Amino acid sequence: MTIIKALRMLTAILILFIYGCGTDSTPDPIEEEGTWELVWSDEFEGAEGELPDSDNWTYDIGRGSNGWGNQELQYYTNRPENVSLDGDGNLVITAIEESFSGANYTSARILTQDLFEYQYGRFEARLKTPYGPGLWPAFWMLGGNFSIAGWPNSGEIDIMELRGQEPSKIAGSLHGPGFFGGGAITRSYTLPSGRFDTEFHVFAIEWNQDRIDYYVDDVRFQTITRTDVNNVNGTWVFDQPFFMIMNIAVGGNYVGPPSQNTTFPQIMTVDYVRVYTLSTE
Amino acid sequence: MEKETKKNYLKIIFSGFAVMLVLWGCERSVSSLEDAEFPDNPNVFIDTFSESLNYAVFDGAVPEAFQVDEDETYDNSPLSMRFDVPDFGDPRGSYAGGAFFTSVPRNLSGYNALTFWAKGDESTTIGVLGLGIDLNQNLYQAEVNDIQVFKNWRKIIIPIPDPEKLSTEQGMFYYASGPINQEGYTYWLDEMKFENLSTLVFRAASIMDGENVTQNVLPGTSFSITGLTSTHGLPDGTDRRVSPSPHYFNFSSSNESVAQVLPNGQVTVVGVGEATITATFRGQDAAGSYTVFSSDNLGEPENSAPTPTENAASVLSLFSDAYVDVAVDTWLTPWSEPQGSITLEDIEIQGNPTKKYSNVAAAGIETTGANLVNASSMDYFHIDLWTPNMTTVRIKLVDFGPNREFAGGDDTEDEIEFNNLAQGEWNSLKIPLDDFTGLQNRDNMAQYILSGLPSGQGILYVDNVYFSAEGGQPTEPTAAPPTPTTPEIEVISIFSEAYTDVAGTNLNPDWGQQTVVTIEPIQGVNTLKYAGLNYQGIELGSNQDVSGMGFLHIDYWTANSTAFDVFLISPGPVEEAYSLPIPTSGWSSVDIPISEFNSVDLTNVFQMKFEGNGDIWIGNIYFRQ
Repeated sequence: MTIIKALRMLTAILILFIYGCGTDSTPDPIEEEGTWELVWSDEFEGAEGELPDSDNWTYDIGRGSNGWGNQELQYYTNRPENVSLDGDGNLVITAIEESFSGANYTSARILTQDLFEYQYGRFEARLKTPYGPGLWPAFWMLGGNFSIAGWPNSGEIDIMELRGQEPSKIAGSLHGPGFFGGGAITRSYTLPSGRFDTEFHVFAIEWNQDRIDYYVDDVRFQTITRTDVNNVNGTWVFDQPFFMIMNIAVGGNYVGPPSQNTTFPQIMTVDYVRVYTLSTE
Repeated sequence: MEKETKKNYLKIIFSGFAVMLVLWGCERSVSSLEDAEFPDNPNVFIDTFSESLNYAVFDGAVPEAFQVDEDETYDNSPLSMRFDVPDFGDPRGSYAGGAFFTSVPRNLSGYNALTFWAKGDESTTIGVLGLGIDLNQNLYQAEVNDIQVFKNWRKIIIPIPDPEKLSTEQGMFYYASGPINQEGYTYWLDEMKFENLSTLVFRAASIMDGENVTQNVLPGTSFSITGLTSTHGLPDGTDRRVSPSPHYFNFSSSNESVAQVLPNGQVTVVGVGEATITATFRGQDAAGSYTVFSSDNLGEPENSAPTPTENAASVLSLFSDAYVDVAVDTWLTPWSEPQGSITLEDIEIQGNPTKKYSNVAAAGIETTGANLVNASSMDYFHIDLWTPNMTTVRIKLVDFGPNREFAGGDDTEDEIEFNNLAQGEWNSLKIPLDDFTGLQNRDNMAQYILSGLPSGQGILYVDNVYFSAEGGQPTEPTAAPPTPTTPEIEVISIFSEAYTDVAGTNLNPDWGQQTVVTIEPIQGVNTLKYAGLNYQGIELGSNQDVSGMGFLHIDYWTANSTAFDVFLISPGPVEEAYSLPIPTSGWSSVDIPISEFNSVDLTNVFQMKFEGNGDIWIGNIYFRQ
């Protein structure tokens, strides 16, 4: 494991070096092959306190198995206290410190599973993250065959996840058969100035049959290709429709538990989620 | 691997700093055109005192507490700052504390934090750390409390509440650290400087701790806006609360003709009406407000205080209509504050005597000398309070100790503070005496001191001041009276559910008595209740010959009577009394030999009478063989 990680760091350093030299090894943006056309979006317009559009979003409820596989501490609900529109065109997911069905925290996890699943394109969300030790917000995707094939065979594309103790840094990752959990392909991005919890930022991937580009705002901070997956002895399973997920987890393997200095409640404010397809006409 | 990732992260941050330092260099040349006088040197103590930095020790602190140290330094730099906090009782001083200030003011408005590395010789909190003490007006003082240090070096960030205020600042840093559990400790600070961290964010500020406080006041009242905080998000995702001075806030009054507020947060009520004090901070509204309702007449209670329900036998009363009071020296000692303006009036509310205190800072009540109160068998202190304007009321109890005199080293006392009393209604306080933990003796209770806020302006109505004991008897029977066992054939019954009473008997003839007579069922059995007995007659439906009877039997119950006599009366009238034992413990049953009434014509009894006091329940009255 250590060797693999060390190798991955080496890769990262190399990429940095290459960027620095400005060689043409980095592929051109996918957009240069055509134009992005909007195919699906939720702008979260609606009255304060309403749940998001049920044509677009469904919910994971409860504590999952083993804290959704990560020893997470929250109980997910679909109560307006945990997930609702704010009346100003935003969706707000709220993590609350409270006793609820045996858990010490509540939060929400919404997903487009069986409602909207799509293959290739640009998937983006404009949002402000929560902050604080033990908070773990994410905007991510799972393969549409997840309920049949299971994880990691379904594939997982993490467009954005953040450790609340590092509010200026996010990570983008890719998991699949042969490269998952600690062995996922991942890269972090730290804002040169500012934080993700105090201003809106746009988090996106641009995905085609050959590669996935990861963006924060206009900065492409990672490209993962079929070759990269093959190089870690993984299988490219990203040729099927995926569904999107947004959530705030509390605690869990990735962040550790909240501390007594963590401020609650914590919110993730989502301005929009949009999906585009590449038009080459 | 986790650690390596972290290191990577730190490197990125540092490279960010390097870039920004360069930018600052550019900015300085621009800003120096406008603001040429003051240097923006960020360094406070890197490896030595920075330019024009001085140090002054706080009053009462150990003079040598601060030393420059070459053994423990951050990142092997040549020198650090060492602070030695004294043990309790150190003759040199009770704490470590002092201020670092420059003789030449600096323009710190381009920085948002004072930062430094810190470590302790143990993991501990290090008291108060701050900036803005310039040994002059300390206008922009700001501090954080209970910063934790560990045995390895950690970076500490003190957010500057509002950098714009610090364009001419001399107060670079100050500290105050006292012993913890009477023990001193040592900590080191190094690489102390001002920085502009893009990952440090201002979140919100508040006055009155974010509460919307309302207060009834008299014109002329003056007080300070308190509970000032600003909250800042640190790069580690936690929030840090800073206590800024009032000068970081811009206060305003919604009605200057009612209340005016100075830049230092001092409010003066100048007229009658309503005014709300609010503040802005960094151009945003601060949470919280202070609303005053100013009136020359703040109102008074419409109703008297609730009538106490404790049994008199378990009460030791200083002031109550419901009980017999002990002697009290004075209800307003000469040393009450503010002397000359605090007043006491004895008033009546709905006919109920009540003490009214005005302009209260502290009102003393004393029971000294022969009047010392022995409350050693008591468990509670009661007081009923009504105030139109006090936000805090404190009650202090003082025992003079075995010498039964003030001072002498044996006095004990304690004070309890109430911050949530309802204004404009009676508050009945029943405080366990054990809550007065410092009051170690209770057998020579001498002083009772009422104080509170707004100091010198408080108006306080007081009633029902008394001690009471736990487990006092109930004030009314809970069980039915005993059921008689004598066969009816051997009985002449006057009042009993078990027998047929003498027909036509009047249980409540009007003899001019004050006693209130009712038939009251207790557990389904009717009893004859005498409330507030002075005397009470019974006129038998027909004259009775009881000479053949052996006893007059009475079942009765009382918790508070101190006198209870029964009379038989024959025409003449001729009457004779018999004193019944009181108070009772539950139901008492007496068989009074009929011979006790020998002066009465026992062959021709036509009336009975009770005399005494208190509340009495009678279960059965009958003659038996």
